[in-house]
Amino acid sequence: MWFGDLVQNVQAATNSREFYEGRNAYYTWIRQEIHDGVPYDQMVRDQIAGAGDSFATGNANFVVRQLQNNGPPQDTFDNLATFTGDKYLGMPLLCLSCHGGLGHLELVNLYLQKKSRQDLWGMSAFFSRTKAQAMAGGDPNNPNAKKWLVSDLTSGSYLLNTTSGNKTPRCPPDPVTGACAVPLPAPVNPVYLFTGETPRPNEPYRQAFGRMVTADRQFARATVNYLWKEMYGMGLVEPVNSFDLLRLDPNNLPAGQTVQPVNPQLLEDLTTSFIQSGFSLRAILRTMATSNTYQLSSQYAPGNWNEGWTPYFARHYPHRLQAEMLLDAVAKSTSVPVTYNVNGIGTVSKAMQLPDTTDPRGNAYGRFLDELGRGDRDQTARTNDTSIAQALSLMNDQIIVVSRVHKNTAGSTVAKVLASTTDPGTIADQLYLNTLSRYPTAAERQLAITYLKSGTLQQTTEDYQWVLINHLEFLFD
Amino acid sequence: MKRPKLPKSTIECPTCDKASGLPLFGNGFSRRRFLKVAGTGLVASYFADVLDPGILRAQTAPSVSLHNTAKNCIFVFLPGAPSNIDTWDLKEGAWTPSDFNPTSYDSGSVRFPQGLMPQTAAHLDKLTFIRGGLSWAAVHPLGQSWAQIARNPGGATGSIAPHIGAVVSLESQAKRAITDVLPGFIALNSAGIPASGYFPATYAPFQVTPAAAGLPTITPPDGATRFTNRWNELHLVDTNRSTGALAKKSLDMDDFYTQSKTLMDAPNINATFSFTPGESTRYGGTTTGDAMIVARNLVAARKGTRFVQVTFGGWDHHSGIYDKPAGTNSNVNSLYTQCAEFDPAFGALLTDLASMPGSVAGKTLLDETLVVVLAEFGRTVGALNDQAGRDHNLRMSTVWAGGCVRGGRVIGKTDATGNNVTDYQWSGNRDVRPEDVVSTIYSALGIDYTTIRHDDPLNRGFEYVPFASAGTYKPVDELW
Repeated sequence: MWFGDLVQNVQAATNSREFYEGRNAYYTWIRQEIHDGVPYDQMVRDQIAGAGDSFATGNANFVVRQLQNNGPPQDTFDNLATFTGDKYLGMPLLCLSCHGGLGHLELVNLYLQKKSRQDLWGMSAFFSRTKAQAMAGGDPNNPNAKKWLVSDLTSGSYLLNTTSGNKTPRCPPDPVTGACAVPLPAPVNPVYLFTGETPRPNEPYRQAFGRMVTADRQFARATVNYLWKEMYGMGLVEPVNSFDLLRLDPNNLPAGQTVQPVNPQLLEDLTTSFIQSGFSLRAILRTMATSNTYQLSSQYAPGNWNEGWTPYFARHYPHRLQAEMLLDAVAKSTSVPVTYNVNGIGTVSKAMQLPDTTDPRGNAYGRFLDELGRGDRDQTARTNDTSIAQALSLMNDQIIVVSRVHKNTAGSTVAKVLASTTDPGTIADQLYLNTLSRYPTAAERQLAITYLKSGTLQQTTEDYQWVLINHLEFLFD
Repeated sequence: MKRPKLPKSTIECPTCDKASGLPLFGNGFSRRRFLKVAGTGLVASYFADVLDPGILRAQTAPSVSLHNTAKNCIFVFLPGAPSNIDTWDLKEGAWTPSDFNPTSYDSGSVRFPQGLMPQTAAHLDKLTFIRGGLSWAAVHPLGQSWAQIARNPGGATGSIAPHIGAVVSLESQAKRAITDVLPGFIALNSAGIPASGYFPATYAPFQVTPAAAGLPTITPPDGATRFTNRWNELHLVDTNRSTGALAKKSLDMDDFYTQSKTLMDAPNINATFSFTPGESTRYGGTTTGDAMIVARNLVAARKGTRFVQVTFGGWDHHSGIYDKPAGTNSNVNSLYTQCAEFDPAFGALLTDLASMPGSVAGKTLLDETLVVVLAEFGRTVGALNDQAGRDHNLRMSTVWAGGCVRGGRVIGKTDATGNNVTDYQWSGNRDVRPEDVVSTIYSALGIDYTTIRHDDPLNRGFEYVPFASAGTYKPVDELW
């Protein structure tokens, strides 16, 4: 789910359509790579250089996702370079795809402020030999679907000959015709913006790019920062795609500037650790999860805490379970599963197994997941912000919550508990175990017993699981 | 902390009387601030964002006059961005379809494609187009956020900035009555828009997807008594709920539960979110039409909602912009199909607001509701591109009605292409930026757009509208 969000694997987006077949292929590829513990740098290289039939070769969809069908191919090359910059280097290269940094990025990014559009084109040029050919999808269940055959040409460079599309002109336009003035500027050859490195003789451009990106310390740095945010709710550099290379070293800052990471030493040590582990996601996540920082209590005496301290990770900062997790938690605690039909995959029983954030749609589950901020992997990012709509659904949605705590719903936790006992104390224990994964404290148990005895046992038991589902301890971690 | 305000010279809505002496802004405000800052030696291109708010705090508050002619704002957002020269600033050329059938008004100087938007055309007397608009960014996500948070999303305060509706909601908090149970900011069909930023989540947009039956989750399925029992027990058991022991996000959630309960307990509240099939049909029978009905209901209800956003995307017509749905091909998305959804909805909204009573006798709901229509940018001008579409372009217009704005006019003359402004017809005498648009909205609502809050987590000072790198952002007073 995290990686799918990162690479925005989705069946249909503003720019491009993978179709569900391509999405499923990409999803399956990601799942298998993570399962097999493939080193992260290799995973990234395999995507940047991904080739083949997009319905059969998951990693080819990295390119497909960035195809810009309403402009010249250079728009697609720019997309691929800026997307790589954003997701794997944590840097806002997109700005440079229309204009140079000077006069624009002074307030945004000191490092990129010194870079030009020509520098960005050097990055894009690594994709200038990438070819994506549309073909009939050949899926009898989805005859309109198109797939792409992604391959590499052996010649070609990034031409500066466009005046239309999604970017400002890449050439000086002729004042009369508006087309490019002749002679055209020289085509751009691949140059890695951060080092000036160029491809080795006979090295395919995309392979060269993947090699340079993953050898760049900023790749490891940006990745640990993304992962840190996933674990702690906030990155050491925020926003996570705003790295400014001139503001990382507290001992070497430009005049008048502040250091960007909240803890530069920690960020560098994590980076080194990630590289030394051979880019092992499991190792770095284990390091984070077993750290004192992660193990800190979430509770803090009110009044002793200043929200301004949040970026320093001096406590565990609880956040609402992400959309799919929360829906899965409701289904699991009530023992009333949800069945999701996914095109081309069949049925899955957990929201966390959904291949993207567009299924399901048009039903209560889809609405609930939208309310919980699953985003669309296109223009709307995931969020775990809270809202009135969420509170109303958690309290009053018949399908999501209310019917699930009913005894008359077949197989429900309440039905099972009431079938096994009529003792209020035991019922309280069972409801806490099923919902909050712990026994009640003595005080909680006494409160529950009092409530359970206050009406008909069926109703009070149903009520009590409703209470525990709406408990902050259930909604937050 | 807010900048101390001088007595505001305001027009109490809904008099809508131009002669009541609107004090136009002097430029003393911007010049004084500029000189002060320039005197510190910061280079000009820097002072837009790195300026130390302390400098300003030490300064005498300049005079700010606000229009304060509107109580509510309906903010109609059209992401994807419709073509400007085919709609709000019609430029006729060989490309213009004949059935656009333009009409002339304002002494024949202004043309409008009444064939494309017949119902909107019927309200031209209420609409004023600001034609000198210029977006900052021709990239959708950037331009969209920019328009909704009034600043560069990548700039210093971009990551903490609330949606402008959240600012309106917060500013209206002090004026809320006990009967004001609805959230100050309600967003219709607007999933994924910016939210409350660093403000408390109370001010976040309340997201609603309009449905005839209203909000599906406003009534407890197991009945009111059991709901009350459950609610009370929840608050008895969950002791960390309201203490803040679990930090701000948990307090936010508790806050939303409280607001939800208030909403559920208010009588007939669901009627505000409901509509009849007949009404839906009159508004065009579309999701946008339904949203306009709910927007109307929300401002008519006077239950605390001050800012309603209606979002209607799908205007990104890089190809086939003039295509028409024909025969079995119902998948066409063009100006025709988009306007077919927008026009009846917007027209009916204006009709209804203008015929419904305002809170002051003799005045209408439209008089006290500012209606603004805008997108993140415009589209390329002249002949269509090689795919019969138009690409991204910074030049754009904004559409204004209600809130005592004088209608039936344009502000800003553009040249024959529609890409260049020949006369801004605005005291600012420059391009109207998204920040100016927001200043105008704030001024209409009586919100001091020069406010600098000092409660932001960056401890930097959060400007409602940031400082411009050239002059100062300011309202387009000529609307009134």
